[in-house]
Amino acid sequence: MSDYAKPVPTPSEDSRIYWEATKNHRMMLQRCRACGAFRFPPGEVCPECTSEDYEWTPVSGKGRVFSFVIYHRAYQRGFADELPYVVAVIELEEGPRMLSNVTGCKPEEVRCDMPVEVVYDDITDEVTLPKFRPA
Amino acid sequence: MASLKDKYAIVGVGHSALGKVPELSDYGLQVTAVKAALDDAGLKKTDVDAVITHSHLLGAVRVHHQNLSERLGIDTAFGVSLSAGGATSCLMVQVAAAAIEAGFCKTVLCVHGDKGATRKTVTRGEGGGEFGPEYGLFGAAGAHAFGLTRHMHEYGTTHDHMGAIAVACRKHAQLNPVAAMQADMTLEDYHNSRWIVWPFHLFDCCLRSDGAAAVIVTSAERAKDMKQKPVYVMGMGQTNNSRGYIWGDHMTELGAKESGAQAFAMAGLKPKDIDTAQIYDCFTYILMATLEDYGFCKKGEGGPFVSGGRIELGGELPTNTSGGMLSECYIEGMLQIVEGVRQLRGECGARQVKDAETAIISGNGGNAVCHSTLILRN
Ligand SMILES: [Zn+2]
Repeated sequence: MSDYAKPVPTPSEDSRIYWEATKNHRMMLQRCRACGAFRFPPGEVCPECTSEDYEWTPVSGKGRVFSFVIYHRAYQRGFADELPYVVAVIELEEGPRMLSNVTGCKPEEVRCDMPVEVVYDDITDEVTLPKFRPA
Repeated sequence: MASLKDKYAIVGVGHSALGKVPELSDYGLQVTAVKAALDDAGLKKTDVDAVITHSHLLGAVRVHHQNLSERLGIDTAFGVSLSAGGATSCLMVQVAAAAIEAGFCKTVLCVHGDKGATRKTVTRGEGGGEFGPEYGLFGAAGAHAFGLTRHMHEYGTTHDHMGAIAVACRKHAQLNPVAAMQADMTLEDYHNSRWIVWPFHLFDCCLRSDGAAAVIVTSAERAKDMKQKPVYVMGMGQTNNSRGYIWGDHMTELGAKESGAQAFAMAGLKPKDIDTAQIYDCFTYILMATLEDYGFCKKGEGGPFVSGGRIELGGELPTNTSGGMLSECYIEGMLQIVEGVRQLRGECGARQVKDAETAIISGNGGNAVCHSTLILRN
């Protein structure tokens, strides 16, 4: 796996548990115990109500493509073999949006509001990226 | 908020050589822009007692107002380096007015310039970080392009609409001797330009340029006796969609909506009262969305609005009459202010908007979350 040529995310203090969960092929997000809102990216207080009381909670991994773009050039060498590739804003059923890739279909088949579900890509021995495919 | 309508004025504007200027450093560009603005205003450096700069330069965030002041040989009563990306341009004028209002200073130099064309760029996507680069999202184009994709989905906006913006800016650049892009561009040329990141063609994206510009702000009272006919700041607005571009409706409804509403309210004007618009065109889409959010047309109708020559010289709303950042030069919105002022002074020659009395200027930054607006009059 050491020949992986794309950027590998560097977990922060806030996101460590998120990346540990994806490593185990689960998606967990922080859910506010005060108001019930899920949040992403991870953070110490709830952006809805500023409560610091939260619980890492499994989510469905289902959502929709809110928007997307298609890269036809590799601005980083690791992506050269995947062109063209899709970067999308995924809106999870639980509310939060996150950036990811849409895989499992041709770029020209991707549409806004298309239903998708999570798939896991073990990019190194330590890190797994959640990606999404048509559901 | 106390209305600052018409209390402050822009009394001098200037810029350095634009385009590719390998012989000058970043500060070299800035000091030549300052010299041009001082000459334009008929002021000496000792008449200036405040310097505001953009905090971005060569990727470093430092006390640039101090570094620049050192090179100009001036001490100042007030100085600050601001960071709101492309919204910094108009924000500098607003902070200048606020600082004079507060009594901190009397005459403010607002400066930005960088070497976007000839400096060495840092390698993209190599460092750490998370929630973006690992998925191959690189550069401002990718982030802003999400907005156009969603706008196309919700409102049926097309590449022909974006092409109309690119072509309008190019036609204007051809009437501006200092504009970098002088070659003809047809709608077909637009469609044939390569993808930077779909849905953005090359011609949806602004230039990379060397250049600097400076704007001098003082009180309307002081402005009365100066060399140039004052250009008054009628309206100011600023909004930050700080929860992020991908949150809520922020990618299709920019901070421009609230920022524009504030500026129109202060000015006591409506969109129909505006004679020319100088809009932050980092990408065609941002120009279109800004015009919608300012109320020149309804949300979703920006595509048809920018088509048919409406935003060209001779149209209903001549927009980016210098060629904008798409076809003149990119100094993160500074030249939008310079062009607005020159239009209101009637100095624009072949590209002059006849009888222009009012102009709206926009700044947009932080990957489309920070927005600032000025409404100017002569
Ligand atoms: Zn909460």
